Amino acid sequence: MSSIDAGASVRPEARNPVPDTPAVDNASSDDPSSKDSASAANPGAAGATGSSVFEVSDVSVYYSDFRAVTNVDLTINDNEITAFIGPSGCGKSTMLRTFNRMNDLIEGARMTGTLEYHGVDLYHEDVDPVAVRRRIGMVFQKPNPFPKSIYDNIAFGPRIAGTNENMDDIVERSLRGAGLWEEVKDRLKTSALGLSGGQQQRLCIARATAVNPDVLLMDEPCSALDPIATGRIEELMLEMKQDYTIVIVTHNMQQAARVSDRTAFFTAELDPNTDQRTGLLVEYDQTTTIFSQPADERTENYITGRFG
Amino acid sequence: MVAITTELRDQLRLRRSADTSGQIFRGLLMLALLVAFASLLAMILTALTRSWPILSDRPLDFLFSNTSQNPDEAGVFQGIKGSVMLAAISSLVAFPVGIGGAIYLEEYAGDSRFSRLVQVLVRNLAGVPSIVYGLLGLAIFVQNLGGITGGRSVISGGLTLACLVLPVVIITTQEAIRAVPSELRQAGYGIGATQWEVIRSVVLPSAAPGILTGTVLSVARAVGEAAPILVVGAVSGFFQTGTLSFLEQTQSFFTALPMQIFAFTKQPAQTWGAHAAGASVAILLVVVALNSVAIWMRARLDQKLRK
Amino acid sequence: MSPELEVELKRSAPAPGAMAIPSLSRRGWNAALEIALYCFITMLVAIVEFYAGGFPGPSNWLIGLVIYALWSLNAFRRSTTPSAAFVQLAVVDESNVAASFGRMVLRTVARGTVLYALPILVFANNQIVWIAMFAAAAASVAFMERGRAPWDLIAGTTMVESYGSEATESTGPLRLSDLRVDGLRQRQNQRAARMLQFAGWGAIIVSLLIVWVVASEAFTFITDDDFSWSLLNVEGDRRGWFPRRNFYDIPTLLVGTLWVTGIAMVIAGPVGLGAAIYLSEYAKPKVRRIVKPVIETLASVPSVVIGMFAIFFISPSVLTLFFDDIGSFSVLAAGIGVGILTIPLVASISEDALRAVPMELRQAAYGLGSRKITVALRVVFPAALSGISAAFIVGISRAIGETMVVAIAAGGSGGTLFELNPTEDGQTITAAMASLGAGTDQVAGSGIAFQSLYFLGAMLFLITLILNVFSDAIVRRFREAY
Ligand SMILES: Nc1ncnc2c1ncn2[C@@H]1O[C@H](COP(=O)(O)OP(=O)(O)OP(=O)(O)O)[C@@H](O)[C@H]1O
Ligand SMILES: [Mg+2]
Repeated sequence: MSSIDAGASVRPEARNPVPDTPAVDNASSDDPSSKDSASAANPGAAGATGSSVFEVSDVSVYYSDFRAVTNVDLTINDNEITAFIGPSGCGKSTMLRTFNRMNDLIEGARMTGTLEYHGVDLYHEDVDPVAVRRRIGMVFQKPNPFPKSIYDNIAFGPRIAGTNENMDDIVERSLRGAGLWEEVKDRLKTSALGLSGGQQQRLCIARATAVNPDVLLMDEPCSALDPIATGRIEELMLEMKQDYTIVIVTHNMQQAARVSDRTAFFTAELDPNTDQRTGLLVEYDQTTTIFSQPADERTENYITGRFG
Repeated sequence: MVAITTELRDQLRLRRSADTSGQIFRGLLMLALLVAFASLLAMILTALTRSWPILSDRPLDFLFSNTSQNPDEAGVFQGIKGSVMLAAISSLVAFPVGIGGAIYLEEYAGDSRFSRLVQVLVRNLAGVPSIVYGLLGLAIFVQNLGGITGGRSVISGGLTLACLVLPVVIITTQEAIRAVPSELRQAGYGIGATQWEVIRSVVLPSAAPGILTGTVLSVARAVGEAAPILVVGAVSGFFQTGTLSFLEQTQSFFTALPMQIFAFTKQPAQTWGAHAAGASVAILLVVVALNSVAIWMRARLDQKLRK
Repeated sequence: MSPELEVELKRSAPAPGAMAIPSLSRRGWNAALEIALYCFITMLVAIVEFYAGGFPGPSNWLIGLVIYALWSLNAFRRSTTPSAAFVQLAVVDESNVAASFGRMVLRTVARGTVLYALPILVFANNQIVWIAMFAAAAASVAFMERGRAPWDLIAGTTMVESYGSEATESTGPLRLSDLRVDGLRQRQNQRAARMLQFAGWGAIIVSLLIVWVVASEAFTFITDDDFSWSLLNVEGDRRGWFPRRNFYDIPTLLVGTLWVTGIAMVIAGPVGLGAAIYLSEYAKPKVRRIVKPVIETLASVPSVVIGMFAIFFISPSVLTLFFDDIGSFSVLAAGIGVGILTIPLVASISEDALRAVPMELRQAAYGLGSRKITVALRVVFPAALSGISAAFIVGISRAIGETMVVAIAAGGSGGTLFELNPTEDGQTITAAMASLGAGTDQVAGSGIAFQSLYFLGAMLFLITLILNVFSDAIVRRFREAY
């Protein structure tokens, strides 16, 4: 067996909406202080206990000749919410998109370094980005339901990927999982564009979970929503944490503090060699640590609002 | 104080009379619209009154009779049949190639110098006079491929019209595809769809109103065109169809409704004017109907997508 | 054996055929799409057979049939057919489970009987019966519950939107192979890309052909032995365009073209622009909803109808009021007809340009206390000027290229003398081409007359190309402005 085939086990519960047994790290994640924080000072290696979903080592992403992010090392843990924060243009979205190879769709985008998903090199030439995105779903900044019925929106993913389940069940389960079932169960066949912004975003989350992904990537999922809708999505994320590993990009510091277990702080700095602003990972740690006693001065400046 | 108030009130009073230049300007604009409306109306009335001898006397006989030397017997059935066949052949060729080509250019070709060149070419071909397409048809379909097409035949005419509407189909399809928000595409890819699945299930359904409208309009255009098929060799006089099978007919002489109108206008107006006007009524009905379908379809599908 | 491998082996793929396909999207569209596909295939076969003079020998039929059968059998295992798979359709049975192999065979036999065997064997291969069979099948779909075709009733099946394949849920450690998309979907993806590329190249080739054909024939005209540039400019009283007598006086046609285009733009310019300003600045939405379709209708009127209008109304009823001695055919009447034809084009492009002017600009002007006319003429019009000039250029290009109105209304079929007076007969470049082309057989026989057709075509092509490129450049500039 080649080395790329070996890897950590994907626990079946990770894909199951109602796990028989709660995940072990989950029980303790409410109390972050109980976690190993010995390596807190070392960005990227923050408490890599338990099973990791992503191992990012020395990743740099380029758009043609422009280096958007450089030399990122980090580990994303199973069934945790990891938040990416940082000033605009520091490459949070870019980094997030490397996790499900959405960058492949951008002409001229490429990356160096290695990114392992459950021990499998995501950028191996035999890996198909389409299969990757089935397992690693994405929710975007602006709610983007298809101009189809609510039902068809949810059914889209399972239909193309194939399923052994009854579609009605999938739709109901996904909508329940996104806390939307009660609101829309009587109008499944009406257009999704008739929903409110917050409902649309929850529909997009339901749509992403309908194919039983393992990971959910969320790029500023609440930035187009009002505070009440934002609150609902945050609750939802905390519920979904049992079943999915979530990576969220946010500009809302309170949001990161409220929902995430770990936080990665990125910033952009002028590279003296190329005269370009390149993003880099400054600090990665337990969220409580980042917000109470950050190790890096730049992090502290940013979270206290003293950043440029 | 009081003086200021009255003065102010005076100034604020709506004075239509003071804005004479505005009124005149508005009147001129209305006049422009009126000219457009009046010419459409006059055209319809001319067609109806001039064709009245036929419309009142033998409307169905006129529609279902073949060409004839005798004005009392001549009809436009062969023209209608030719126009239907031309529209069918040109749609069969131009829609798959045009829509497929547009998808290719938009979704696959990327932004190379070559694809930009093709863009410019296609856009400019849409503005090339229709008679130039007749030359293309004459050289390629009638002369070079005459062995297959049978020379001056329906199939040559249909293929020529297909070339004519191809740029129109491509451009309208491209515009419709471009109007699909990239967020929808991203959503599709984000769930794990292949490029083809995104195109088939996300892009094409969203672009359908625009594509359909464009295709219907291009059929209307093909039905109304006379210049290219004139050059390709539509028959302007009397001819007999005989008993040929459907596919054999595609290789034989043909005429079309607009071609017959042209032929009728070349005859003495006293005897043949009513025929020209009558055929004009027929073609107006077809083209206006197609146009209304396109407008209605666009409105309806737009509405459905917004709902 | 490592424990990992053991997990690997336990991973079970659902047996094909046992896969449940969900109940949604059981629409008539799917059945209709299938019928349309087979109609297309049948037509294609018939056309190939006809134009290739029949399939040579029965063995070729047989080979084709065997290939198709093997292909079908392979598809049946995935509860679909080769062509249905192409548009991602699959078949389920009554209990909403992917149809079994046997059921697929039954269904295909039933379909073959209805669509092919009956028309050929019973009705002796009559084309009308073929068409009737397809039409009846399509019609029945609309009335049948759940949108099924006749053969679906026989086999107890329904056509539904399909999946790429069954899901591969693995329970063991993630392996590289899990991150591959299944072969079927990948093949579909690649096949679609190839087909689309094919279409794309078709479009490109047609575009190149037009340029090449016109240019090469025009080149033949210029380089022909019979041709000399002086031919194009015969001096004296015989000056004119009579290709059948080898008089090729281009200025004759240019004068005609200039008159027609000029007259057309005198009408279409102000009327089109006026209508556009009214629609974009003055008309209430309700008025717009009525006026727009009327203008679009005017745009769709075929040019032969306008030609008829010109000789039956413009000439006898309008022009005779102003000119005593005008005949029933004149360049003037043709110019007015072309003008009417060009109005909607100028109106719609100008309106687009006017509406592209940002609302804030108007609001700013109103905020300063301007009147509507001031806003329209001093603010919106200058801002949209480049777009409006593009509209005029496109209008000119359209007027130059218009053929049938002139061919009908300007007289001068066969040839025309050099004539500066627009109330006389005349010809434009396009009308000259039409009268040359109308009798192609004779033209081909007489010297370089045939090539002169292409020379005129090339000239026309160049003129309109330059105008279009010019207007394109202007439009692009005005797009950048906002
Ligand atoms: N498609 C692209 N092509 C070229 N450059 C890009 C592209 N997308 C992003 N960039 C550049 O990469 C850098 C990082 O962008 P990115 O969108 O990842 O930042 P971000 O941290 O998500 O910012 P924001 O908080 O505003 O969303 C920026 O300088 C941006 O200009
Ligand atoms: Mg971003």
